[in-house]
Amino acid sequence: MELCDLSAEQIASLVHKREVSAREVLEATLNRVSLVDGRPGQLGIEETTPDDEKYVHAFISLTAERARVQADEVDRRLAGGEDPGPLAGVPFTVKDIFVVRGTPSTAGSRILANFVAPYTATPVERMEQAGGIMLGKVNLDEFTYGSSNESSAFIPTPRNPWNPAYVPGGSSGGSTAAVAAGEGALSLGTDTAGSIRQPAAFCGVVGMKPTYGRVSRYGLIAFGSSLDCPGPVARTVKDATLMLSVIAGRDPHDQTSVTVPVPDYASRLEAGVKGLRIGLSPDYFRITFVDPHTGELIERPIDPEVLAATRRAADVLASLGAEIIEDVPMPHTHYGIPAYFVISRVEAASNLHRYDGVKYGYRTPEYVTDLRDLYRKTRGQGFGLQPKLRILMGMYVSAAQYSEQYYVRALRVRSLIRRDFETIFDPSGAYRLDALLTPTTPTTAFTMQEVYGDSVLMQYADELTVPANHAGVPGISLPAGLDRKGLPIGIQFLGADYAEATLLQIGFAYEQATLGEDWRKRKPQVVERLAV
Amino acid sequence: MTEYEAVIGLETHIQLNTQSKIFCSCKADSWNDPPNTNICPVCTGLPGVLPVTNRVVVEKAALLAAAMHAEIQPVSFFDRKNYFYPDLPKGYQISQYDRPLARGGYLDVPLPDGTTRQVTIEKLHIEEDAGKTKNDNGRRLIDFNRCGVPLIEMVTGPDLRSADEAAQYLIRLRQLLRWLGVSEADMEKAHLRCDANVSIRMVGADYLNPKTEIKNVNSIVAVKEAVQTEIERQIREVEAGKRIEAWTLEWDEDAGVLRKMRSKETEADYRYFREPDLLPIHISEAWLAHILQELPELPLERRARFISQYGLPEYDADILTGERSLSDYFEAAVALYPSDPKRVSNWLLNDLMRMLNESGKLASELRLTPDYLVEIIRLVDAGTVNTTTGKSLLDKVEASGKRPGEIVNAEGLAQVSDTGAIRQAAQQIVSANPEQVQSYRKGKTTLIGWFVGQLMRETRGKADPQLARSILEELLSE
Repeated sequence: MELCDLSAEQIASLVHKREVSAREVLEATLNRVSLVDGRPGQLGIEETTPDDEKYVHAFISLTAERARVQADEVDRRLAGGEDPGPLAGVPFTVKDIFVVRGTPSTAGSRILANFVAPYTATPVERMEQAGGIMLGKVNLDEFTYGSSNESSAFIPTPRNPWNPAYVPGGSSGGSTAAVAAGEGALSLGTDTAGSIRQPAAFCGVVGMKPTYGRVSRYGLIAFGSSLDCPGPVARTVKDATLMLSVIAGRDPHDQTSVTVPVPDYASRLEAGVKGLRIGLSPDYFRITFVDPHTGELIERPIDPEVLAATRRAADVLASLGAEIIEDVPMPHTHYGIPAYFVISRVEAASNLHRYDGVKYGYRTPEYVTDLRDLYRKTRGQGFGLQPKLRILMGMYVSAAQYSEQYYVRALRVRSLIRRDFETIFDPSGAYRLDALLTPTTPTTAFTMQEVYGDSVLMQYADELTVPANHAGVPGISLPAGLDRKGLPIGIQFLGADYAEATLLQIGFAYEQATLGEDWRKRKPQVVERLAV
Repeated sequence: MTEYEAVIGLETHIQLNTQSKIFCSCKADSWNDPPNTNICPVCTGLPGVLPVTNRVVVEKAALLAAAMHAEIQPVSFFDRKNYFYPDLPKGYQISQYDRPLARGGYLDVPLPDGTTRQVTIEKLHIEEDAGKTKNDNGRRLIDFNRCGVPLIEMVTGPDLRSADEAAQYLIRLRQLLRWLGVSEADMEKAHLRCDANVSIRMVGADYLNPKTEIKNVNSIVAVKEAVQTEIERQIREVEAGKRIEAWTLEWDEDAGVLRKMRSKETEADYRYFREPDLLPIHISEAWLAHILQELPELPLERRARFISQYGLPEYDADILTGERSLSDYFEAAVALYPSDPKRVSNWLLNDLMRMLNESGKLASELRLTPDYLVEIIRLVDAGTVNTTTGKSLLDKVEASGKRPGEIVNAEGLAQVSDTGAIRQAAQQIVSANPEQVQSYRKGKTTLIGWFVGQLMRETRGKADPQLARSILEELLSE
């Protein structure tokens, strides 16, 4: 096994013991990037070439020299008897929605393509202070608006390492693709409706959306401020645990970050699932959506292979001593996407106001007649389709005459979704669940361009993940097998506020119990190809 | 001729005098600082930044709300007011909308005719300031220093009835803000900004006519002039059979004229919604109690008490309560000299006020403390120094910081009441000035003042002037 395929935990341990140097791990990882990533996403590319279709294209900016300086510093400190921290020498990537001082912070958009941040996001800073080595910034849907990673202005956009004809999911698709392909053991992603968990499921890695407020949003370029959660992407539950321990906690720069103490997540990891109550809900075994043409509600069962994997996971947990509770009602689940459509767009439209060509970022090079013309041309040229759609809808549903009918109503729906979770996790209620087990996504990855362009259909890829964002509760997606096409299947555990430790504990138990399964021995195509 | 009355409401923006800005730790006051020197990623709205509420802003706002008799809300929210402007770096202003910090409230404004006008408050909320835009030869320059400076927006009901009343309201508001210590309230420095809504109607009517809004009035005098000008214009228009249109006007102070800025189209839609980056403001009972510990007796209450408790004339009470530190000074002095508050008031009004005006200091900043002042008054009362010396002691104490008694001893300023010494000096003056003595004796008795002056000069002002006068009169009448 190559150094870049080791888990973060293994790397940190070897580096601490000085059995390998941080620099060696870094060079092995950079070598992997050079073999599997292909050319980085960039502006001005209209069409991808057939050659592009073989590679992952996770990166927008690979900051190799900066990483070498950091790795050498970790090695120097170790040589001097210092402890660089729990992530010593662990290479990681950062979704390019976080600002990192001195590096381009693009949000995958033309409008920020030339923006170099003067400060660093809190979670990135914490990872670097823990000895982590940042490799660079990875691609995403423009401003995180999407579930396939195809909307980035930086082309080629990421592809699924398991089969590059398929999307990696999104919007943290660059993060999950990079981790799956051995381009860094960890990645910092964000989840607004499922943007960590959905691509984690598509790419066969572990992705966690912590409780809202558990990880600081300072330095995260905002999409839906009341929904956005930074979180870990890793190959193992232990690594996700390690990363969460580093990034979680109160940040004086983020008033919405909570003062609730961060527990020792690792200490409970091996506690098993005996006696834990884990629920299954039929409301998560189908998707319901509005036909965009007729307006009718359409109900469809989820992909049978995904459902089977979820049921199999329940059996595994039951065999480990967990109590499986069937038929848990989550009646407001299917309102999640419509409510999200409204709330996230109101916040997004407002959050995008600042990109006006006045202070930083893109400004139209064309002649402008006045201020309005400057705004119009700058934003017209700087934003791609997805931000524009969100601005239009966000402006519409928050307008004085529509706000009550849409925005205020969506907020009420959000409270109802929250109540669904409160009911099932209530320790003195009828269900008293420790976690809800669901499929992460209704299907496995779809092919490039299969869904893109249909923004309504695309959103339903998030139907099973978005309720946790509305409610603010934590969720984790774990690999749970491969489908007939050889694409990863993800299962999700959802928990009560600040129940990350429980979710990690269950996830770890499941992961350990299935270590011997055949599908676990398979590697993503782009990695397997290297061995030949 | 029809009688009209004016209906005026004032919209004020009050800059709080906190050390740091409302959502970041940048210095709040940038007066005289070069452009864009008190800025950071947060107040310039860089991608990814988040605001963090400055507690002192909430405390000062709550203090003002309490002083305005407004109801402080246990929970209030921040909202985003969305609009595009180059000096608004986030493209939205963080403000409060439907759940503001306080509701209701009023300010009693005493009017020169002795009546009081109760001015109701329709809106009182916290918000952040925007930056400044300036045109420079076809370029537009932006200074972000002011971005994120804490403001209170306070809007009155349509309760004021003349330009004079509008000015009185602002004078009383400014007095209150300084009294509470929440704002420097300097209109020239834009710590206190005012827009005036003006309409007229027939006296006795209870409906409101279309109003105009006057912007850019930077002093109390300007508010008075602009409002008066607008009232007169509206009366002329109505008399000429025209309708008043809802214009926004700008006051050109130099030319003394109002210019039309724009017709008020439909109300702008700011698409307000809750600021998701900030928690609601929860003011617990304990916190409120802590804040209200700082709530002093208000100026108008104190004014009334000075009249009733100390028997001061209204004029004295009004001036003494014009500013908090002066009124505190007065009370401290009266406590040491309880027998005659009016005598203390006279010293303050006649002499101390002059010193304050000349030095630009507050009464609390004087080295001439209330007990030194009372010591001086007592020295005069006891005849140890005469009044003139007493008054000169004020400046000497202020300059040196020494006790009055010490200065009197060190400089030998004690009054000469020794008849022999005065008589000797008087005799010298009489013999040295035969011409004046002749004139006096021929009947020009007003020369006595000149003789007394000579004697005082001779004794360096220490002679008891009464005694000097009677001895001189005696010698001259011989």
